[in-house]
Amino acid sequence: MQIIISNYSKEPIYEQIYTQVKKHILTNELQPGQSLPSMRQLAKDLDISVITTKRAYEELEKNGFIYSVVGKGSYVSEQNIEMIMERKMKVIEEQLMTAIQNSKEIGVELSELRELLTLLYKEEA
Amino acid sequence: MENIIELQGVNKSFNGFKLQDFTISVKRGFVTGFIGGNGVGKSTTIKLIMNLLQPDSGTVSIFGLDYKNHEKEIKQRIGFVFDENILYENVTLNEMKRIIKPAYKNWDDALFNQYVEKFELPLNKNIKNFSKGMMMKASLTIALSHHAELIIMDEPTSGLDPIFRRELLELLHELMQNGEKTIFFSTHITTDLDRIADYITFIHNGEHIFTKEYYKIEEEYAIVKGETNLLDRDTEREFIAIRKSNYGFEALTGNKQRTEEVFGDAAILEKPTLEDIMLYTKRGKDKYVESHS
Amino acid sequence: MLNLIRKDIALQKKTLIILLLPLFAYLFFGSSTIWIGVLFCIAIIMQGFSMDEKSSSNLLFNSLPYTRKEIVSSKYVGACVFTFLVLATIFMGNLIIHKEMIQLEQLLFTMSIVMLFISFAFPFSYLLNSQYLMIAFAVLFVLYFIIVNMFIPNLNDRIRELVQTALSFDNSLLYLIVVVSVLLIYIVSWMLSIRIYSKKVF
Repeated sequence: MQIIISNYSKEPIYEQIYTQVKKHILTNELQPGQSLPSMRQLAKDLDISVITTKRAYEELEKNGFIYSVVGKGSYVSEQNIEMIMERKMKVIEEQLMTAIQNSKEIGVELSELRELLTLLYKEEA
Repeated sequence: MENIIELQGVNKSFNGFKLQDFTISVKRGFVTGFIGGNGVGKSTTIKLIMNLLQPDSGTVSIFGLDYKNHEKEIKQRIGFVFDENILYENVTLNEMKRIIKPAYKNWDDALFNQYVEKFELPLNKNIKNFSKGMMMKASLTIALSHHAELIIMDEPTSGLDPIFRRELLELLHELMQNGEKTIFFSTHITTDLDRIADYITFIHNGEHIFTKEYYKIEEEYAIVKGETNLLDRDTEREFIAIRKSNYGFEALTGNKQRTEEVFGDAAILEKPTLEDIMLYTKRGKDKYVESHS
Repeated sequence: MLNLIRKDIALQKKTLIILLLPLFAYLFFGSSTIWIGVLFCIAIIMQGFSMDEKSSSNLLFNSLPYTRKEIVSSKYVGACVFTFLVLATIFMGNLIIHKEMIQLEQLLFTMSIVMLFISFAFPFSYLLNSQYLMIAFAVLFVLYFIIVNMFIPNLNDRIRELVQTALSFDNSLLYLIVVVSVLLIYIVSWMLSIRIYSKKVF
């Protein structure tokens, strides 16, 4: 897992950690049940204070991305991840539906739409 | 027990200087950076914590114990580093160790040797021939060799080169790994704190201004920059202190959110440094004193 | 507290060994054993005392798990230990060089003078600084002369008389009185020093 912290960003450091860990979880790079480094270890490795990593982990836990076991550490959550993925999929479906409806209105073909999607998808990456 | 150090309503007059109704606490398992200008009471506070001074009134409790009945027990669990060298100068580090070792029940020779090796300290050279950095390393070695739960340091990084300062911070990170230790240290090199401090305790003229989680400071405080015509009686009240020039103003707010609402896009809000906060707080207090006297 | 005494001895090891030479020289040339004893005891004890007077040493030992009571007490007990060491050395030295035993009374007398000196010097030094001791003694000396010359011209005679009467007592009773009063003064001084030191600010 890679986490890059910028000390000069406007975004607070704990938020940078939160966003990046969340991304790693949503892209399945961190898998459900996998253990995360301890708050103190992460703080040391990133050369930041413990309370910053603590805050990031608290936020991640509050939003259901991870859970912690007292005396053991933090792990990537299972059910909640699926729920989040499901929710996201639903949003994507809805948005695609709108795109499809708009396409139909002005007569854009499926192949054209697919091409456009591919193009945009690649650009975004 | 959450709080390792607790000063409650402490009053102390000392050398023409006063701590008034002074209350601070230091949380277990975290690093607290203790900041404030010169002569505002940092060293006095540390001396009160170490029982080198006794308060005129109020209570000092360490590990939940008071010095009156548990002095030795408390000091067994503290490791200390002062900014001046307090080791005998005409002895070697080895001899110094032999003097200090019997004072501590938990003294660990292996640990001592480990730090001596890590810091590349000479055991058989007179301490008076040590450089400032070596003296600091020697003090630190002694402070860390009895498994102290609480490490108190008064300006440990002053007079040290940037490389050793960074190494020291790395060492502190390592010490904090098991979560059992608490570190309380004063400094006026505030950039040291970015990387290690969990809490910041800020005092000014013997008064406790705040103790906050480090990240909360940037959530609450902001440097605001804008054109002078934005300022009037009402908006000026938003700020702790304001610096005006012909080209515009710069000010510190302690309520970032409200200031954002008041000024919107008309002003620029920036992340303040600890130095900004120290400077503007001092100015604000001085002005307050001026206008009320 | 024993650690603190052991520390004082360890730190003065070198000085002690160096002092051994002049000590034997004095003995060899037959100076008064009382005089040598008092001189060496006071020199060694006060050197040990002044070593810890710097504010940095006070910071160190007060930050270590020792109480102020222990720090002061270690100096008082340590002074007795040093006196014993010096007197034992003189006793042995005298035995070797002159093949004679020093009388117990002489040893007791030396001890009493040293303890009286310490009883004054320690609280004084805790209050001010041992550097001022010499000045204090000079002042006392001057005062003594002023008193002798101006107010009680026959003070010396009176003291002599007092000593004479004291000496006329039964010997063992006399020594008992002297030893007990010296001990009392020592203990009062000890308590006083603890009081002074507890209020000190570093």
